[in-house]
Amino acid sequence: MDFKDYYAVLGVSESATPEDIKKAYRKLARKYHPDVSKEENASDKFKDVGEAYEVLKDPEKRAEYDQLRKYGARADGSFQPPPGWQSASGFGGGGYTEADARQFSEFFEEMFGGGRRSGFSGADFGGGFRQSVRMRGEDVHARLALFLEEAFNGCEKQVSFTVHEVDDHGRMMPRQKTLKVKIPAGMREGQHIRLKGQGAPGVGGGEPGDLFIEIELAPHPHFSIEGRDVLVTVPVAPWEAALGATVTVPTVGGKVNVKVPKGSSSGRKLRLKGKGFPGKHPGDQIVVLQVAMPEQHTPEAEKLYETLAKLEKDFNPRSKLHV
Amino acid sequence: MTNKDQIVTVEVTDTNGSTFTLREICERGDCHAEFVIKLVNYGVITPLQELPEVRQWQFDVAALQRLQKALRLQRDLKLNLPGLAMSLELLDQVQDMRREVNRLNQRIRQLMG
Repeated sequence: MDFKDYYAVLGVSESATPEDIKKAYRKLARKYHPDVSKEENASDKFKDVGEAYEVLKDPEKRAEYDQLRKYGARADGSFQPPPGWQSASGFGGGGYTEADARQFSEFFEEMFGGGRRSGFSGADFGGGFRQSVRMRGEDVHARLALFLEEAFNGCEKQVSFTVHEVDDHGRMMPRQKTLKVKIPAGMREGQHIRLKGQGAPGVGGGEPGDLFIEIELAPHPHFSIEGRDVLVTVPVAPWEAALGATVTVPTVGGKVNVKVPKGSSSGRKLRLKGKGFPGKHPGDQIVVLQVAMPEQHTPEAEKLYETLAKLEKDFNPRSKLHV
Repeated sequence: MTNKDQIVTVEVTDTNGSTFTLREICERGDCHAEFVIKLVNYGVITPLQELPEVRQWQFDVAALQRLQKALRLQRDLKLNLPGLAMSLELLDQVQDMRREVNRLNQRIRQLMG
């Protein structure tokens, strides 16, 4: 078992006052709150901070922890509690209302008789209580990242998530659950799929919770999404832009031919009706034209450009810049 | 058949999809109706239609998620209602901006080839 240095977790010294500890905890709780932070492992850090505070805020537990810290830590960083160790301030009941005991570390459980073994925050979930309580299972929220093509056409995906359920001994235990889910065509970023009854099981015959999956879209190298519309930048040759042309354009659903109007500048947008996200009200695809130049011109082509320059000498492409 | 092989038919919830009554959203959020009504009054969550009779209110999944987020923030950071309302609003703004930055970065990469 690894030793948990709660002082280091909160970034305070051993001699920190209760006020210092509270201040450090509040600051770190705000910083690492999983609903606030986008940092990697924010959720784990938040749990560590909560666990550290749970111990250090209580003078009795803190004194016990200080003792353990002094005598239990080994040179190799591992930890063994002194023989016959038993916490006097354990978590049997009371004083434990806010933090979620299921989330705390093995170290915490070993030292302070944590929540996983005693069930629901100290409440007795075994025997008669379990049978008399009817409780709806927890809803589970998960996210699922799809490639644009998958979201567009629909797909089948494996989704794994954790549910908490009461085992035969009345203990709340996490269980990994995996489902294959048929994702319907036309799902967009932020939309939800609801799987009825696939969340945590109910207690005492209560209804199971639901699983909600929020769709995320992985960035695509060519297409970007705006609402139901799909945007794509399509390069065209200067002569295609000048004279007009029929060009092949990719859409998420496959290639289509598009007429580029005569005299199109870079940035001109063409709307392909109904080629955006499928659905009751399908979106459009917006093609943004971009005039592209060959990397090199032949001497003949350069001559033609020189002729063009002479013919079009009155054209000032920078007139908007007043130069 | 094990759970792993199970294929589940899904229900898509968009604006026309499944919704929750005040009672259902309270049950799922494990909170009192008063708290949800206060959140509605502060503009933190909004029923799909603001009807005068609270029993007629319907909420979507996004509102449920927001309620659960509000409950977590209140429990973990001890926020009061005005603080909660402002935090959620600022978090929304941050999220919108992150999305916009990602979208623009993607567009820039596409334009640069």
